Amino acid sequence: MSYIDPTMRDMLDTFVHETETMLEQLDEILLESERAGSLSEDHIGGIFRITHTIKGSAAMMGIDGVSNLSHAVEDVFYILRNYPSKLDLVFDTIFDLVFQTSDFLKKELEKLQDQGLDYVPDDPSELIDKLRLQAAILSGESPADRTEDAPGEKAQDGGTETPARYKLHIFFNDDVQMENIRAFMLLSQLQGCCDYLSSDPENPESDPSLSEEIAKNGFIIYCNPLSSIDEVRQTIESSLNVKSYEIVDLLEHSEDEKEGEHAEGQANADLPSASQTAAAQKSSPKNNKQSLISVNQAKLDQLMDLVGEIVTAESMVGSNPDLRGLKLDNFTKSFRELRKLTNELQDIVMSMRMVPLQTTFHKMDRLVRDISKKLSKKAELVSVGGDTEVDKTINDAMVDPFMHMIRNSMDHGIESPEERLAAGKPEVGRITLSARNVGGEIVIEITDDGRGLDAEKILEKAERNGLLTKPISAYTDKEAFTLIMAPGFSTSTEVTEFSGRGVGMDVVRKNVEQIGGTISISSVKGQGTTFTIKIPLTLAIVNGMNISVGKTIFTLPIASISQSFKVNDPKQILRNTNGTEMILIRGECYPIVRLNHYFGIPDGAEDITEGILIQVNNNDSKACIFADELIGEFQVVVKPFPIFFSKYDLKRRGLSGCSILGDGTISLILDSNNLICEL
Amino acid sequence: MNENMNAGTSFASDLKDRYLLFNIDDTKYGVSLEYVLEIINVQTITQVPGVAHYIKGIINLRGKIIPIIDVRLKLGLPEREYDDKTCIIVLNVNEVQVGVIVDRVSEVVNAENSQLSVPSEVGEATSRYLSSILELEDKIVLIIDCEKFFSSELDYGQF
Repeated sequence: MSYIDPTMRDMLDTFVHETETMLEQLDEILLESERAGSLSEDHIGGIFRITHTIKGSAAMMGIDGVSNLSHAVEDVFYILRNYPSKLDLVFDTIFDLVFQTSDFLKKELEKLQDQGLDYVPDDPSELIDKLRLQAAILSGESPADRTEDAPGEKAQDGGTETPARYKLHIFFNDDVQMENIRAFMLLSQLQGCCDYLSSDPENPESDPSLSEEIAKNGFIIYCNPLSSIDEVRQTIESSLNVKSYEIVDLLEHSEDEKEGEHAEGQANADLPSASQTAAAQKSSPKNNKQSLISVNQAKLDQLMDLVGEIVTAESMVGSNPDLRGLKLDNFTKSFRELRKLTNELQDIVMSMRMVPLQTTFHKMDRLVRDISKKLSKKAELVSVGGDTEVDKTINDAMVDPFMHMIRNSMDHGIESPEERLAAGKPEVGRITLSARNVGGEIVIEITDDGRGLDAEKILEKAERNGLLTKPISAYTDKEAFTLIMAPGFSTSTEVTEFSGRGVGMDVVRKNVEQIGGTISISSVKGQGTTFTIKIPLTLAIVNGMNISVGKTIFTLPIASISQSFKVNDPKQILRNTNGTEMILIRGECYPIVRLNHYFGIPDGAEDITEGILIQVNNNDSKACIFADELIGEFQVVVKPFPIFFSKYDLKRRGLSGCSILGDGTISLILDSNNLICEL
Repeated sequence: MNENMNAGTSFASDLKDRYLLFNIDDTKYGVSLEYVLEIINVQTITQVPGVAHYIKGIINLRGKIIPIIDVRLKLGLPEREYDDKTCIIVLNVNEVQVGVIVDRVSEVVNAENSQLSVPSEVGEATSRYLSSILELEDKIVLIIDCEKFFSSELDYGQF
């Protein structure tokens, strides 16, 4: 079995990329601080944040080694952040340790990239122990002098007793900087496989000025390997930034100087091949690295806008009135080519902006864990369909509503373990977060198996807050549930740590609606609550059929259209008892929506034989829309209605936005889902 | 008529004390120049169903969708057919752009505090939207408080 959960495969690249970027930042901070000889509070905070983030994402990936190590660093900096004055206690050692951490992490990342899911983790416990020691010193549990328990020191103690057999002469890469630290790190790496270790210069980490010397003359290590020199050789080869090295066997050396030189020569001869393989190893991850680059989102937005403009401009050219009635074979051919290319361009731009919901779902995972600890409730989060992709803007906009709804579910929905057991439910509550792609929409459901909503209590409270518009008895359960999302429902009387931080479910609804989505609630008392959020796949461009009603032009997304047809005989139209019109198509009855009546447009066709019927199908509802005529199929850039119209809830009336047509006029985009629901 | 009102006056601080005057019938109204983006001719307005009657619809202003309000209807006056003097003043109120249809735009005036007086609280529909009354030598101008004027739409969803 592989070390990493195969479902994480997609996340792996992102994780490596992000962590790499953060480690780069970490190194930058460290280098700058060490140069300045001090750690500013900003830098302490920076290191804390970076390690905290790495810890979190590594834990998510299930890479415990990386996570634990980052955690250890985080702990040290957590204390430092609160008591910057204690910095002096650990100043000398902390840099080395964090550097070692950074290098260890980088090595792990490289392995992750090379080996993918078959990645074999290294054990960072040694580093972690050292970091814990620092943390202990900081928190006053351990005297500072124990810091002297550093590897270089230990090696020196043994120096007089055990003569070294080998002399290692090591050169670091040019311009690698901080050679003294690297040398020190190499020493500590070698510690594991040598029973005697000393170096020249001694204690390289203590004096940054040694850097230059080491860079120029190299770094000399005397060692006596535990098993064979090969192990040492491997360690050196695997460590970072070593340009070249030579190993001199001192025993042989003392016997025959020439042979020693010969050995040196041999080692040197080995070098190119060693460095070549190292280079080859390094080049493959390099290629991987280029598979991901981070782009400023503003640029992507700009690109999206631009593509939107191009699509509009293209239809302006294609449907230009000057071309009407002309026979333009070559033009048409070129134009088709252009259209194909713009379509491709559009697809690519869209896909660039698509991100899987997984990351957001994982954040919720943590949230549930944290809250259940705080509230001493037991709950687990089950997420389904995290690979569903949505536009980045939508993804970002959904984080807050998710958090809020999950907090709500944890706080008000899920009962305490005792209550749950008493109600005959499993002790551990379950919150299910599911996403799936239905037509042009993403349907996200947040379900908890908690106590459910109490319609009566909601109505009582709504009445107290003056939110009711009709007598209590006239409210259905569903209407009552909707009230919890009304502005002013959530009041400050129920502020707890997690829900009710001054924002209520109305903000959730607001956020969802801002991205063109809808939210509905269903709940069974004692069994749980489900929030269903429907959001558009993308905000940007839809393929639409333009239809006219009087002077008004509507755009109906192609995805929802099944067919369109003319009615020749008015007798085909049936009348329901309540007066609504219906038509029978292949044995099924479809209600007819006359757009002109529905939207109050005075100049639309009245005679059913004059206009055209368009059959629309949605997930569960079907209907026929009656309009004057079809204008044609266009790609339109969806623009939301100005904020000015938020009050009127046009989305619920069946209008999802508007778009600017090729000739500069505006069409209203129909949302057939809501249109039919309104019936 | 398509002149950009901001073009000539680059001193934002001055805009506050300057007012764009327009007519509804014979009454003169004014809005502070700090809200005014531009003045455009009436163009094709796309109706949006299901909104208040004074919202005439939306227009496409260089790729931006802008809602249009008929000041006459908002003030409870009878509708009047648009003529060549009718124009749309595009305003920017709290970062929301909105156009208002007025009978005629007349001029821009400078006003000093001494010329402004607070309107009486009581009164009919019009005075609810007024911030002050400006007395000039030969006329009286009712200064519209843009935030109050659009409050029924703009206050929704602000929390």
